[in-house]
Amino acid sequence: MKLEEIDTLTGTAASEAAVAVDLAGLEEVRIRYLGRNGRINDVMEALKAAPRETKKDFGQAANRFKQQIQAAIEERKAALESSAGPAGSMVDTSLPGAWRGGGKLHPITLLIQRATSIFRSMGFTVAEGPDLEDEFHNFDALNTPANHPSRDPSDTFYLDGGLLLRTHTSPVQIRYMETQQPPVRIIAPGRCYRRDTMDATHSANFHQIEGLYVDRDVSLANLKGDLEYFVRKLMNLEDVRIRMRPHFFPFTEPSVEVDYSCHVCQGKGCRVCKHSGWIEIGGAGMVDPNVFQACGYDPEQVTGYAFGMGVERMAMILFGIPDIRLLYENHVRFLQQF
Amino acid sequence: MKVPVGWLQEYVEIDADVQQLADALTFSGIEIEAIHRLGLTCTGVVAAEVREVTPHPNADKLRVCRVFDGNTEHQVVCGAPNVAAGGCYPFAPIGAVLDRGEFKIKKAKLRGVESAGMLCASDELGLSDDHGGLLDLPAGTEPGTPLETLYGEPETVFEVEITPNRPDCLSMIGVAREVAAVFGKTLKLPTPVVSESGEPVASSVTVAIESPEACPRYTARVIENVTIGPSPVWMQKRLELAGIRAINNLVDITNYVMLECGHPLHAFDYALVADGEIVVRQAKPGETMTTLDEVSRELSPEMLVIADRQKPIALAGVMGGAGSEIADTTRTVLLESACFTPGGIRSTARRLGMASESSYRFERGVDVNGVEWASRRAAQLMQELAGGQVRPGVVDVYPAPLEPRTVTCRYQRARTLIGTPDLADETIRDLLTAIGLTVTGGNDEACEVSVPTARLDLEREVDLIEEIARLHGLNQIEAKLSAATINPDADDRDARRVESIREHCVALGGHEIMNYSLVSADLLNQFGIPEPERVALPHPLTQDQAILRPSLVPQMVDTLGRNRARQIRHAVFFEISTVYAPAPAATPEARPKETRTLSVGIMGMPEGQTLAPRLDPSASEMFGFIKGFWERLAEAEGLTDWKIAPDDAPWWEPGLGIALRAGGEVIGRLGIIRKGIRKAWRLSDPIGVFEVALPSLIGEKDSLPTYRAIPQYPSVTRDIALVCDQSLPHETLVEVIWKNSPGTLEAVELFDLYEGDKIGAGKKSLAYSLVYRSAEGTLTDADANGYLESVGQVLKQELNVELRDR
Repeated sequence: MKLEEIDTLTGTAASEAAVAVDLAGLEEVRIRYLGRNGRINDVMEALKAAPRETKKDFGQAANRFKQQIQAAIEERKAALESSAGPAGSMVDTSLPGAWRGGGKLHPITLLIQRATSIFRSMGFTVAEGPDLEDEFHNFDALNTPANHPSRDPSDTFYLDGGLLLRTHTSPVQIRYMETQQPPVRIIAPGRCYRRDTMDATHSANFHQIEGLYVDRDVSLANLKGDLEYFVRKLMNLEDVRIRMRPHFFPFTEPSVEVDYSCHVCQGKGCRVCKHSGWIEIGGAGMVDPNVFQACGYDPEQVTGYAFGMGVERMAMILFGIPDIRLLYENHVRFLQQF
Repeated sequence: MKVPVGWLQEYVEIDADVQQLADALTFSGIEIEAIHRLGLTCTGVVAAEVREVTPHPNADKLRVCRVFDGNTEHQVVCGAPNVAAGGCYPFAPIGAVLDRGEFKIKKAKLRGVESAGMLCASDELGLSDDHGGLLDLPAGTEPGTPLETLYGEPETVFEVEITPNRPDCLSMIGVAREVAAVFGKTLKLPTPVVSESGEPVASSVTVAIESPEACPRYTARVIENVTIGPSPVWMQKRLELAGIRAINNLVDITNYVMLECGHPLHAFDYALVADGEIVVRQAKPGETMTTLDEVSRELSPEMLVIADRQKPIALAGVMGGAGSEIADTTRTVLLESACFTPGGIRSTARRLGMASESSYRFERGVDVNGVEWASRRAAQLMQELAGGQVRPGVVDVYPAPLEPRTVTCRYQRARTLIGTPDLADETIRDLLTAIGLTVTGGNDEACEVSVPTARLDLEREVDLIEEIARLHGLNQIEAKLSAATINPDADDRDARRVESIREHCVALGGHEIMNYSLVSADLLNQFGIPEPERVALPHPLTQDQAILRPSLVPQMVDTLGRNRARQIRHAVFFEISTVYAPAPAATPEARPKETRTLSVGIMGMPEGQTLAPRLDPSASEMFGFIKGFWERLAEAEGLTDWKIAPDDAPWWEPGLGIALRAGGEVIGRLGIIRKGIRKAWRLSDPIGVFEVALPSLIGEKDSLPTYRAIPQYPSVTRDIALVCDQSLPHETLVEVIWKNSPGTLEAVELFDLYEGDKIGAGKKSLAYSLVYRSAEGTLTDADANGYLESVGQVLKQELNVELRDR
């Protein structure tokens, strides 16, 4: 065997190793060249037979033969093993993963939790109250006149014995102030009930988020500032604006309705905001002195703001849900979307 | 309320365009809900005189009219009830176009009679929504006059929402006062002047108020020799634009003045009021009266009536009586302008299920000092438009005159509450005077203002501050984030714990659902929940929502079933909401118990770590799924000390329902829903459900985990396999193993369970891994074999199990 033939053979063996389709094929290559009866015997014989003056060259060629083939085999082996399973088969990495079946929160919860976490970052804590309320907490303490239409049995569900299903989350304000001293910063998400016949936008069961902040010198300007901050975070938009329209609620004075500039069109007018550029988020105002008095607070010492918003309505606007009934149908294909 | 902008302009100059005006009013507290353009939507319609009316030969409800349009006579078929010979009505001849070009009048045959056009009602012309009959044009309208000449261009009408605290704005002048205040204009009020003649009114009318708390003031005027007929077109048009149907000049005048100043009036036919005697009193038991709408009403003593000596002649402030109604024959009018208090009007209106423009205003409150102005204004118009002669004077019974109220407003308080530190004292005073308040005193710190009696809502300083805020402009207020304060007592741990439970349920594969709090009796009957466990609404809206739910389970099954009906094979749902139980004892202060509750429901094979489609699970597999969900959740929430017990809920499959106990009480129940219940939803495969009271999971306080040293020495594991009676619980076996093992036992894990032919009926085979570990050193095989040997002996002796070699 000539010296050049050894190098040619080295190259051939290395390329054969590099194209071996599997580990068995690669093993065949190793046996053919480096095995007990492999071509390495021919190389070693040629080295033995080489004249003294070229012995060194043959020695180096023989080393290259061993090392380069060994290296090519190792390299191919690593490549084959990395793509093979235990049985040496190929894995289809595009198959779906097997760890499936996670659930989702209901969109109403999602909205409440989103709002809650924003208000928590502003120093609010969550307060809760019962669904079954008495007239004192639901109406009287909230400065609602004895003959106010909202007290009518055609608007409110009454139980035997004078209790009622709360018509708003505002009684939580009263219950909280009855037991806690100012400063007060709470939000109260919860279920409310009104005798509304069900349709695409009404439900006898619905949710509200109530907010109350009482301290020294709380102002309408604070209400505006805090709600503006909240809506910005809720919508994840920096340039949301807030506007207030005068309104009337028995438990606040002044009372306002609050709109924000539409998150879809940024106030230019679109289908979502009914082309007005503004979307109402709820009612608000400065806590009426009579409410403070009913809770034992001195209206000369503290002022406060309160607000309330409808969760279903907000969820429908934010998530583009066309019908309130979808929220209570609990179809899994609906629930999976949020 | 509908407000024609043209009518407002009579009292205040308006420079702003319609949109600016609407916005300014909305942002000062009078919300403009819609802006309409109302007016003629027709062309070619003229006034025409009906000369003859004859019955239609083939139809009872149709009439055949001879109609004169100024040039020629036409034969027209008409179905309106009020068509009368001699009347003047709008006539759309052939070629006229109605409804903005949509409807062209053509020659037609109606039940075999030719009709050369059509006589029109107000809605057909676009003037209003009224289709009660033909629009009655005033006598003397020249036949042939185009309607455009009479009614002019379309007008802008605002649809206005007046909040219940602002009854003073339920009128054109009330809204105009706001416009003037917002735009800095002067309010121009008419000054009604009447020229009186004849005997003083007091000689023919007496008024006695027997219920002064319900009627603080009553005035009466008498107008003689009136001529009844249609009111002038300008008045008809304003009424129609404001949504009130024109009837005749006298009725229209009372309505017009009510809309103008907000004060409801009533006109009686003087001849029908016995002896001109007016008594304001409560109705007597059993009294009846027929109201203007021709309905006979049974009265009761909480209703206030206007009566003559013999009988009630009107429901005070709500509706007049048919017996004293203004008719074509009326010659003398007794004009009532009075003040009735809201409570009485409300209860009368509600008891009788009636509501009128008049009751609406009295229920909200009218200005007791505006009574005489309204009366004088109506008398003036009756003189001018109905040829009446006004008898001198007014009978005015007003035993306790109401004085304007004085309210003090501190400037600094206003600035602080609104959050406008730069609002000047002078600006504050100007804003208050702009709405008709008078500054009567004050000092550097506060002003004293006199509030007109029309502003019933302005009683306190804070009420004035609201006026200042809205007139200054809420959008002028600069938003200011509030400063953070910490209330050390505020803690919402419970709410945070519920959030954590929700997140864990989601992580375990649950989709959150929300069902109504109110359920039907039928659903509860299906689940065998007896009536004493229910809190029912005495007056539900629908039978579907009649009972406050005593459990979340029925709706959970219903939700799974409804999803199955929509081809969903598998689902895991959870709901967190309140359940209600009747008050434990019938004490007066006992209230129904509300418990925040979690329910979980599973149907089908849960998706897990396998891709292969699976068959429906067996009942025991499903029991494992639902119990596993509960175990993982309890573990995640730190509830470790709970036990199972038998449960008697009527909805479980026999032997497949358990109670969950912790802290000495039942906290929930878990199991497989009985087949007999499931089949109503066609759920043939097992459904696993649990329901647990949340307070037990929430706990009283957070328990913080404590570190334990990680073992240094290796463990030794030994397996033990045994065969025992099927009835022997796993729990007992594990207890015996623990009790009879040394402290080195670290864990007992079930890893195989077999029931079947190979081991015979009534038997089961179980295999456990026992893990031993010592903190002091490495255990030897001999140690472990010894432990296993001795526990095996005890199992054999105490529980009669058969050990197997593995």
